[in-house]
Amino acid sequence: MGSSSKEFFRQEPPILDSKFLDWKFLEWKKSIAGQRGKQAVIALVLVLLVALTAWRCNVDVQSFITGINKGFPLVGMFFPPEWSGMADMLQPLGVTTVMAMAATILGMCLSLPCALAASSNIAPPVVRQVMRAFIALERGLPEIVQMLLLIAIFGLGAVPGLVALSFSSIGMLAKLLADAIEEIEPQMLEAVAGTGATRSQVIRYAVIPQILPALFANGLFRFEFNVRAGVILGAIGAGGIGYVMMTAMNSMDYQKACMATLLTLTLVFFSERISDFCRTRILDGGTPR
Amino acid sequence: MNIEVPAGALPSRKFRMTILYLAATAAAICLLFTYLDMSPSSFVVDFRFIVDLVQQMFPPNIALFWTKKTIFLSLIDTLSMAFLGTVCGGGIALFLAFFAATNTTPHPLVRLAVRTLLAMERSIPQLIVILVLLITVGIGPFAGVLTLVIGSVGMYSKFFADSIEQADKNTMESVESLGSTRLQTIRYAVLPQVMPSFVANLFYAFDYNLRAAIPLGVFGGGGIGFELAFANGLLHYKDVLAYTILIVVMITAMERISDWVRRSIITQPQLITK
Repeated sequence: MGSSSKEFFRQEPPILDSKFLDWKFLEWKKSIAGQRGKQAVIALVLVLLVALTAWRCNVDVQSFITGINKGFPLVGMFFPPEWSGMADMLQPLGVTTVMAMAATILGMCLSLPCALAASSNIAPPVVRQVMRAFIALERGLPEIVQMLLLIAIFGLGAVPGLVALSFSSIGMLAKLLADAIEEIEPQMLEAVAGTGATRSQVIRYAVIPQILPALFANGLFRFEFNVRAGVILGAIGAGGIGYVMMTAMNSMDYQKACMATLLTLTLVFFSERISDFCRTRILDGGTPR
Repeated sequence: MNIEVPAGALPSRKFRMTILYLAATAAAICLLFTYLDMSPSSFVVDFRFIVDLVQQMFPPNIALFWTKKTIFLSLIDTLSMAFLGTVCGGGIALFLAFFAATNTTPHPLVRLAVRTLLAMERSIPQLIVILVLLITVGIGPFAGVLTLVIGSVGMYSKFFADSIEQADKNTMESVESLGSTRLQTIRYAVLPQVMPSFVANLFYAFDYNLRAAIPLGVFGGGGIGFELAFANGLLHYKDVLAYTILIVVMITAMERISDWVRRSIITQPQLITK
């Protein structure tokens, strides 16, 4: 619709006789009718899909209402939070934070070579294809699946959580970085190569300065995500605050669970704020140093 | 002729700074590793466990795909969870976004209250939400759907509110000058402007929710994640690998499909990047 109106204005001013106006009006009515039809089809498909999925998911208003009725007393049991348990929870909270941080740093370091190998203007086509397939696999594999497999290898503890988080960080960061590298103008690479630079020097002086802001900005975003994912992985066996929360809920110690939730809330809130703040500074200020 | 070179731009100084940054990063990683009681040697020591696991996993139990009929139903369950979570969450998020945006909110205090609530809701960990919902509405996909709805509302109403605030003021004024009510202004001036970015973001939300639906399944939310955790608990690693293949294929395929549908619906995707 946008393009057709633009064309209309680009035309020579038409002779506004009544015949022409009638024709224009009919055209307009037709296009509106066409849009309405399209919208109706989309709405119908959506309604059908919602009905189908609601049936598959056992969506039930009755259980929703009883859930709300049950939920309020349950949430009431969460309060007041068990403040005395806070001192014991600071260590697990630290484990979750450190796990997310270490996974982010590792993922950022490892995603750089992966991204270089996955971009068409740096790597040979065969390497690129293999690397792209690896990245796609990483992206398709949720952290939780990796975690379940890694527990079988490393046992319970922060190690499998760290490995799972860093792997999925590589999957996301390397794809974004590889796309950023492929968007670098070829003239820039040629200019550096024209001075007689080797391939590694081209990467050092033409590629890396351009993608560093993207790497840091996306890495900070990933940190925020890793904190959230780290809580969930913790419940399955990576330790940390997620594990505390899970055991407290399982032993119906709701006030302790509430304390853990409050601490996690603070952690997530601040990690979001910090990563937001740093990201806007990096993206506004150009290069990060 | 003397040219003043700032000290920070000298190559030797720059090189030293680079080395310093790298050393600081390395030190940070080492410190974090010691804090977590992990030694890199454990990767080497545990290597035989990796070989063990791989031996137990291969070949994957592909026969599961046709012997077990419910496997595709549970795949559909996971997809339905993500879809319902996205549609309901997106709808509620759009509704709340109008209260949270400066130019459409009925009162600045309402905006403040809604924004604060949303910021809090965004920070609530998904884990506690699913654990509470499992108790209240019972084990099953419904609890997972509700968790995804709550997560999507928190995440996307902020995006939508920001995009509403960026909507063109002149269009709104011209519609208002025709004597439209506030609702009519929203319908004819704001909605057409935010709709493309809204739909594009919903497709991303679907991808995100699909990935999030799998851990929810592990905790009892049903779907393929539940099957996977069940097989893993029984140490049936051949089944686990088969489920893993299925999950990877599903997520990759859905990403492609949603990318394609998004491109064909919206000619120019306008994404809000935070």
